[in-house]
Amino acid sequence: MRCKIIYLLAMISLLAVGCNEADDGHHVDPITLNEKIQGEWGLMNLKMVDEVAKAAKTEPSEQDLSTLFNYDNFRIKFNVNENNQPTTYEVTGNVPPLFALNGYWSLSSDFQQANGEAVRIYLYSDAEKTMKTDELRLASVPGSNEEMELHLVRVSGGIAFVSYKFKLNAIN
Amino acid sequence: MKRFIHILLLAFIMVPNFIQAQENAGAPTKIWSYPVIYKYDEEVTWFFDLSATTFAETEDLYLWIWSPSEPDAGNWENSSDFAKLHYEGNKVWSFKLTPTVYFSKSAEDIAASAGFWFRLKDKTGTKQSDVSNVAYTPFADFATSNELIRAYPPAPTLTGGLSILFNANLQPGFEDATSVHFHSGLNNWDLKVEYQAWLPEIVEKTQLKNLGGGIYKMDLIPSVYYNAPDGYVMENLVFLMVKDDWAGTTPDQVINAAEYIPPPPPKFMFFPTQISKRDFLGIIRTNNESNVNKLIYTITASDVVITGEFSGGVSEIKGFVDLVTKLQNVNVTEIHVNVVDNNGRVITDTNILLKPLD
Repeated sequence: MRCKIIYLLAMISLLAVGCNEADDGHHVDPITLNEKIQGEWGLMNLKMVDEVAKAAKTEPSEQDLSTLFNYDNFRIKFNVNENNQPTTYEVTGNVPPLFALNGYWSLSSDFQQANGEAVRIYLYSDAEKTMKTDELRLASVPGSNEEMELHLVRVSGGIAFVSYKFKLNAIN
Repeated sequence: MKRFIHILLLAFIMVPNFIQAQENAGAPTKIWSYPVIYKYDEEVTWFFDLSATTFAETEDLYLWIWSPSEPDAGNWENSSDFAKLHYEGNKVWSFKLTPTVYFSKSAEDIAASAGFWFRLKDKTGTKQSDVSNVAYTPFADFATSNELIRAYPPAPTLTGGLSILFNANLQPGFEDATSVHFHSGLNNWDLKVEYQAWLPEIVEKTQLKNLGGGIYKMDLIPSVYYNAPDGYVMENLVFLMVKDDWAGTTPDQVINAAEYIPPPPPKFMFFPTQISKRDFLGIIRTNNESNVNKLIYTITASDVVITGEFSGGVSEIKGFVDLVTKLQNVNVTEIHVNVVDNNGRVITDTNILLKPLD
């Protein structure tokens, strides 16, 4: 008799567990990199890095270009459509064309890579995005500080020899 | 009694407050004179380096001196014009005086005094330097030291003052000299001022000051006296003293210059090490000679010629050339770079390969 009561209690308690429904909230799509990058960015700092010197650990391996060639006026604007998909981009500030000053853009991935490799911003001269002009590496992703860092890397024979590090902050 | 002590205490507490009502400008970094050594009845210029003080550049400053006497007594709030310093530049001020005249005291009285104690101040006395002292170098012992020549400082510099004492009593044949002249040159006669007895201005320039008792003194600043070019490196000063119109001379003398530390060698470089036609080309030169302040470049890429110049100083001359814009539509794999300095000397004349981009 006593055993039966214990079974009964056990059954009831199992039922109680089974009925418990977890509240996960409503489903929201995660914020993509497109959304984080879109908008207008101003230059905080531009550094030119001698990757050959840096690899050989010789100095100087870095030079500050922030105040040269109008870079203090540098701005870049990444536009997206109503679906938050990349469309055009444009550089203003009358700076030399280190990379094409306007065109179309896309990302190599909507999200940051788990392996830590920088997401690429591909730049194109045509709307169909078939003619790639340059690519930028997203070295630091915009967060709550509204800053990001883009690297333009010059590569020859698969080896990087110079890079330009654009440190940017969001304009409004 | 107790009340008296309280009042006294209060007074002492208040004293610093009164003192602090005046702005303290700080102390002179360096004080020197020209001539380096002088008798109290000789005209001398005192120099005060006030670069570490809060006195403003070109500000009108005045000498407030109370020892050996106080010529501008009673005028703290309105210094007299005769106490005004002359601005030399680079936050250095100077004051010219003949001590016996300025202090209305005999040379003996000045020698027996506590020395030259002063503050520097603005006209109204709202700003003042710390209490300082102009050090005096006595040299009366030279006459009895049995030395023919003595230099102050013993190891001179190119741009600093130099006083050379000569004891004519120790040089046979100089007893009845009417004048003594300085026949000399820098770096073993490389830059010389010869005693050309037929040129009045040279006779005057080379003449030693007769201090009496057979003691003579020559005062000079080598860079000025020998009109040394910029960047000249002084190693030694060679000379001999000449009696009248070459009636007699001392043996050759040499004074070695202060230990000279050669600057690090100049270094020229391009930045970065490897470059494409879509990059900026940095042209950098460090540890420049003192007469090099500009780099003038000519870059030739096919039929495009880019010219320009960068300015700088001893530590660095640096600039960047915008190949990005200039070579945008030029099909080249190599550029020729020629860089000369402001003296027309070729710094580099070389070809740089442009890396093809992937």
